[in-house]
Amino acid sequence: MQLEKFTYDNKIVRNFGLATIIWGIIGMTVGLLVAMQLFKPSMNLGNQYTTFGRIRPLHTNAVIFAFVGNAIFMGVYYSLQRLLKARMFSDVLSKIHFWGWQLIIVSAVITLPLGLTTSHEYAELEWPIDIAITLIWVVFGINMFGTIIKRRERHLYVAIWFYIATFVTIAVLHIVNSFQLPISAFKSYYVYAGVQDALVQWWYGHNAVAFFLTTPYLGMMYYFLPKMANRPVYSYKLSILHFWSLIFIYIWAGPHHLLYTSLPGWAQSLGVAFSIMLIAPSWGGMINGLLTLRGAWDKVREDVTLKFMVVALTAYGMATFEGPLLSLKQINGVAHFTDWIVAHVHVGALGWNGFLTFGVLYWVIPRIYKTELYSKKMASFHFWIGTLGILFYAIPMYWAGFTQGLMWKEFTAEGLLKYPNFLTTTLQIIPMHVLRSIGGALYLIGVIVMTINLAKTMLRAKLVANEAAEAMPLAEVLVEDASDKKWHRKLERKPIKFMVFALIAILIGGIVEMMPTFTIQSNVPTIASVKPYSALELQGRDVYIREGCVNCHSQTVRPFRSETERYGEYSKAGEFVYDHPFLWGSKRTGPDLHRIGGKYSNAWHFNHLLDPTSMSPGSIMPSYQWLISQKLDTTTTESKIRAMQTLGVPYDEGFDKMANASLRKQADTIAKDLRQNNINVTSDKEIIAVIAYLQRLGTDIKANKSTIPSNQ
Amino acid sequence: MFKQIKDLAGGEIYLITSLLIFMVFFILVGVYLLKLNKNYISLMSNLPIEENQTQGDEEA
Repeated sequence: MQLEKFTYDNKIVRNFGLATIIWGIIGMTVGLLVAMQLFKPSMNLGNQYTTFGRIRPLHTNAVIFAFVGNAIFMGVYYSLQRLLKARMFSDVLSKIHFWGWQLIIVSAVITLPLGLTTSHEYAELEWPIDIAITLIWVVFGINMFGTIIKRRERHLYVAIWFYIATFVTIAVLHIVNSFQLPISAFKSYYVYAGVQDALVQWWYGHNAVAFFLTTPYLGMMYYFLPKMANRPVYSYKLSILHFWSLIFIYIWAGPHHLLYTSLPGWAQSLGVAFSIMLIAPSWGGMINGLLTLRGAWDKVREDVTLKFMVVALTAYGMATFEGPLLSLKQINGVAHFTDWIVAHVHVGALGWNGFLTFGVLYWVIPRIYKTELYSKKMASFHFWIGTLGILFYAIPMYWAGFTQGLMWKEFTAEGLLKYPNFLTTTLQIIPMHVLRSIGGALYLIGVIVMTINLAKTMLRAKLVANEAAEAMPLAEVLVEDASDKKWHRKLERKPIKFMVFALIAILIGGIVEMMPTFTIQSNVPTIASVKPYSALELQGRDVYIREGCVNCHSQTVRPFRSETERYGEYSKAGEFVYDHPFLWGSKRTGPDLHRIGGKYSNAWHFNHLLDPTSMSPGSIMPSYQWLISQKLDTTTTESKIRAMQTLGVPYDEGFDKMANASLRKQADTIAKDLRQNNINVTSDKEIIAVIAYLQRLGTDIKANKSTIPSNQ
Repeated sequence: MFKQIKDLAGGEIYLITSLLIFMVFFILVGVYLLKLNKNYISLMSNLPIEENQTQGDEEA
């Protein structure tokens, strides 16, 4: 057999690298803006397209799918070719993948500020974009498996297993969490409702962290860290154990995002148990990474890329230790809905994903340009200001989280809430939010310095677009010696079978968790007095979704005395059966709204939406004055009612035709009530619908309290 | 704390089954790992490092 000559495609690696940097700067800048909105409401810029509710999803989508997403593809396209000794399967597919992904991101940048959102966290993009994501993901899959099939290296290194698991799991998660019924080009309703929708969403949300922010990065760690340190991974056995345990366990842990909600108790306990177990495989990965550097710590002192890797692994270790702790019910009771969670995810995002990305960029860019890094000093500066940025970000957020979580729960000696006004607790932590934005700014400065450094590096040399390489081709028939019959070794040579095994491992958890909630009726007890929303309330709910209210206001009262005292009766599973989608939220920047119905007058809501500070002095909520001038779009009412009927919401037969008449009638009543309070607004405005929705929230069970089932 | 695991109104079965499934899975992976031979391990862990040698000028 003769050595075969071929080339590696470096151009696609460079392009994904550039996209990583550009979207990173954009995503982090938007992050800085939303951070500042939380202490200076004028930073909402006075128009509907830049309010916190609409652009917080833009920040999360940009950093997760644009910054981290492009970094994953950069790392995969670089390492996959070299580990398999083959050029990517198809240059055309690589290009389609690259431009398709960028187009998806651009469509997110356009649609999210317009308020086109499904409201599922980290899956906000509407159905046409969901389809585009699916197609591009398949292109990526074909390109990856095509490369694996035409490889010149028989064995698939552990990094590639992580890439395969990433591919197949993200595909499953994305598809299952995108079952929506479209009602127009950019509006759809989730097929799932209430508790089931919540379970699906957090099964997705948690595993997006697992399989988008973790497994591909572990794959990159297993390739780039040994390369940087020029020594093999500490324990290959540990990497196998860590891989299978990680993908098997991770998929079960989603319900820890729903502790103390109306999700069935067994599902919550299951989520907690598997979250605790998750410490082991997560730390297995961290330890394997750090111990790879044994005997090479002198290199860490000199090599800035290794410094980034060490901090990344340490941050990974901290975040994956903290995650299981946060899933303990006692800790979760204080931490959930507070900035503690924000701190937790940013230790992961800034430390693990960010720093590992920077390490890889500093390592890859000079190599594909065949040159040295422009300035080691600038890189070192980036490292220190980035580390400082993480500290300035995380510590104030932890402080804010503890403070607010405890304030919500504090009672006076007389047994009354010590801080009955929610706003007091928000204002208490404003200084922490100022410090946090300084931390974010420091981190962003570091990224800009890196950009200059890498741009100078690229300008001083020419890209080696097609890098020459040579390797022996694979023998046609695999001859297996006696010691070579272990199933995993065979498996690891057969990528498709490997993918199927990985798929089975991740499906088991999802099925055990979700099927009972979907198929066994007693798991979601119904309540007779809970009725579908009126046409006006449904439209109001969609305005609520459009404005992203869920980003600051939860709609689930937990069964704590501190919450029932503050908000009212705790939330029951049966109350959400017509909620497509559920709107429980994950963060309380403002108070919970599940029992807001009937608490204040229509006039109060009107004035509050027009100028929140007029009703709650010091409020950091932006003004929603456009709701008063914009007419409610009632052309969609019929199709919305029909869609709800299709999804099983029991509206009377033919209600769709009468829906707008009933909508107008209810709107007139509210407008009339407002007029009596000296507020002149016509009944066709959006604010009327929002008020109708808010006044309905959580009121159904008040009608017949004695028949309410408990959540167990 | 154990109340959360005990009082599940019939839901315990899901927890017990899940843990059993995982135990079986974990033991299978464990047994497989113990049976792995050393040459194979060293071959696999050196894959990313060794690519330099076959690729000529990749990393000067």
